Amino acid sequence: MRKSSLLIVCVLVVALAIPLAPTSSRAVQAQGDDTLTVLCTPQEDWCVAMTQAFQEETGIETSYVRMSSGESLARIRATADDPEFSVWWGGPADAFIAAYGEGLLEPYEPELASVLPEVAVGEDHSWHGVYIGALGFCSNVELLDELGIEAPTSWQDLLDPALKGNVAMAHPATSGTAFTAFWTGVTLQADELEAAEEGTGYDEEGAPTEAAVDAAFEYFGELHQNILQYTRSGSAPGQMAGNSEIAVAIIFSHDCVKLQQEGFQDVLVNTFPEEGTGYEVGGMALIKNAPEPDAAKQWIEWALTPEAQAVAQTVNSLQLPTNPETPVSELSVNLAEVNLVDYNFVAAGAVRNDIVERFDSDIAPQPTE
Amino acid sequence: MVRLARSRHVAEFRRIFQDPILFIGLLLVVAFIALAILAPIWAMVKESWTADGRELFDRYLGSPVYRTIIRNTLQMGLLVATLGTVLGFVMAYIQVKVAVPFKRLFHLIALVPVISPPFAVATAVLLLFGRNGMISKGIFNERYDIYGLDGLTLVLTLSYFTIAYLNMHGMMMALDPALDEAATNLGASKWRIFRTVTVPMLIPGIAGSFLLLFVEAIADLGNPLVMGGNFEVLSTRIYVSIVGLYNTTAAAVLSVILLVPSLLVFVVQRYWISRTSVVSITGKPSGTPHQITHPLVRWPLFAVAMTVTGLVFLIYGTIFVGAFTQIINVNNTFTLEHFDFVINGYGSDAMKDTTQLAAIATPIAGVLGMLVAFLVARKKFLGRNALDFATMLGIAVPGTILGIGYLLVFNSAVEVTLPIIGTFTLIPKLTGGRAVFGGAAAIVLVFIVRSVPAALRSGVAALSQIDPSIEEASISLGADNFGTFRRITLPLVRPAFLSGLIYAFARSMTTISAIIFLTTPRTKIMTHQILNEVENGRYGNAFAYCVILILIVLAAITILSVAIGTSSGAEKTIEGGA
Repeated sequence: MRKSSLLIVCVLVVALAIPLAPTSSRAVQAQGDDTLTVLCTPQEDWCVAMTQAFQEETGIETSYVRMSSGESLARIRATADDPEFSVWWGGPADAFIAAYGEGLLEPYEPELASVLPEVAVGEDHSWHGVYIGALGFCSNVELLDELGIEAPTSWQDLLDPALKGNVAMAHPATSGTAFTAFWTGVTLQADELEAAEEGTGYDEEGAPTEAAVDAAFEYFGELHQNILQYTRSGSAPGQMAGNSEIAVAIIFSHDCVKLQQEGFQDVLVNTFPEEGTGYEVGGMALIKNAPEPDAAKQWIEWALTPEAQAVAQTVNSLQLPTNPETPVSELSVNLAEVNLVDYNFVAAGAVRNDIVERFDSDIAPQPTE
Repeated sequence: MVRLARSRHVAEFRRIFQDPILFIGLLLVVAFIALAILAPIWAMVKESWTADGRELFDRYLGSPVYRTIIRNTLQMGLLVATLGTVLGFVMAYIQVKVAVPFKRLFHLIALVPVISPPFAVATAVLLLFGRNGMISKGIFNERYDIYGLDGLTLVLTLSYFTIAYLNMHGMMMALDPALDEAATNLGASKWRIFRTVTVPMLIPGIAGSFLLLFVEAIADLGNPLVMGGNFEVLSTRIYVSIVGLYNTTAAAVLSVILLVPSLLVFVVQRYWISRTSVVSITGKPSGTPHQITHPLVRWPLFAVAMTVTGLVFLIYGTIFVGAFTQIINVNNTFTLEHFDFVINGYGSDAMKDTTQLAAIATPIAGVLGMLVAFLVARKKFLGRNALDFATMLGIAVPGTILGIGYLLVFNSAVEVTLPIIGTFTLIPKLTGGRAVFGGAAAIVLVFIVRSVPAALRSGVAALSQIDPSIEEASISLGADNFGTFRRITLPLVRPAFLSGLIYAFARSMTTISAIIFLTTPRTKIMTHQILNEVENGRYGNAFAYCVILILIVLAAITILSVAIGTSSGAEKTIEGGA
């Protein structure tokens, strides 16, 4: 009889011990840099291609997690005392500037920093740009026909009541794309105010004023009436337009071109607002207290080389590369032909958190009539 | 009188103390509940009650926008609960009391949603009945706007009516046909019997199902994310507060607002409805239920069952076909790319990790559930009800809330300072990529917490069908508690144990809201990956994941059934006696 008691004790001990066994071959390794964990913000297939290319190049076992900009920032903030990631690659620089402002990034100057355009080098070398792309409108041709309207060519066009429930963008809190759209609105309002009366649009530092921000909130509050839903990731609305769920997606133009390359060539059309559009510089940075600092630095050096930047084209990611040596695909949007606003990344990064919180509490949850 | 009862409870407690096995078991269970269920919930409530939190309460409860969101949530809960309960009732009624063909098929159809991954139904419904749906647009040329309340109601009803079905199916089977016969002999019509005998006997089952569905619907996160449109509910707000802003205070405050109706419903269901139950559980009813053959009842109900079956076939057909199609509805060429992505590509980690973690969680949840069931059903000690209640919290609490609680409690090591030993780490950091086992431990814990309640309920149901005198006989013949449990009780509750295991595995494989904040670079979870694919419109990959997930669950059910056996020889011996 006692034997059975002994048995149950053993069973219980084993049952308790099971969760303590490593769950997979990828158990936590000693702090050698034969691994690298990348926080990756662009589209998934590009993340895969990049990490594979890096692994082939260096032999470092590279894994990644794909998160949108805002999500990434939230995650880095939440795990600041013991980061899970060593390097953060891609997504609009605004989030990188906000992260550096919070002390979450470690400055590091790669050798190729000198060849980059000025706009692609962050303060103190806290981040470096890996690609540039402009925001645009990605529209479904058939649906526009059905609604009896032309593809939108201005921010005002998006407010057309005919587009009710037929526009989508991501949520600025989770997505850098959507934040870029919002800050574009702020910049345009600031320009308008400045034109009307000097000093009302921009302060002495050249940052848009509170009044410009308020005016942008007003615009996006109006636009909210036409939005079907706010997605989590920036490029998702483009897919919705492709699948005829909505007529117009506010996304980066290169994401629209990518979709056209991947089965939606006759469905989607790419347009730009004439008042001016925002653009992103896709950032890259070393995360503070990175668990794999050496491998992360190697990644940063490598990611600026023409070979690494050319990987993008193999997966139809057609942003403009920041290294002038990298060949540009003829499918890429020629930024010289697009009216770009004077996008102040530093001011954007500084107020990013306040804006997304305000957007999340004042605009996103509003019911639409 | 009360005092006498109390002292008996205390005596029983002492008896547990004298039996080391039971005592260790009880200690284990209590430690598990305290750490894995109560601590996270408590941490979340505490977080919401900080100064900032209280301010947010005022702001949210005072703002018309948030009042609308709360109203939306409750409205969706009530709608889904009503429709799901009606559908579950009809399907169960057909199964037990109406003479129609294809009964086995209908039974399977009603069970399918249990093994179905989240988003699968929502995505398929979007593709079938949405703005560019294959049926709405393709056949009726109608751009039906499925985003929002109507789409959500349809999808949630289809996803959750199984709960009501199983609940009422069990109750109807337990109804004694002798009652019907007595009423017939007294000259009542069939309709009158239905109205005055059947329905009143099932009221607790109906109410119980209604409440369970309500809780499931208001806690659901996956579906509103995919097709909520501008219909905002609390769970999606909580989600954005965490992933977009990492504002745990705001998330905790919203969580508490969501927790109140959930817990209220749970308490009502437990203490009021279970008390008013009139279905006798004294073993098996005599005779078989009398089948209704009246054509005016039979065929309309048959039509309902066929409609549901047709819908389920359509939806799962879409998932299956979509998994083998380039871009379903846009470019319908056959491809194996999506499966390649899941099995060999970068989607394979999630498949392996999830299956492994679910396989670890399943036996633990099964054994724990049985252990609690045994303590609750067979032993009378102080705190027995509290134990049952606390265990059930694991499912009564919306998953997102549990997830946030885990972030709050286990994001750093839990340290305890004791007078003599000093400070030591009681539990290492469990969540996040740098935690032990790459954050897998927290996920396994959540899987267990979410699965134990079902194992507990099926265990209690099975144990209360077994006459304790059998066990007493064994003990008086000199067997100890554990020997009795192993040789007498265990064989008798084997089927219940099996269903507990199956449920635990299926639940772990398909849960999303509870683990969405806990996935890490090292531990990827399938449901989370499916969400990524759905969100980015890569339906093919999402559907391939779904097909493989369903196959893994089916394979596990088969393996478990073979290994444990679905019935026991002993069952037949006690059938007459119990």
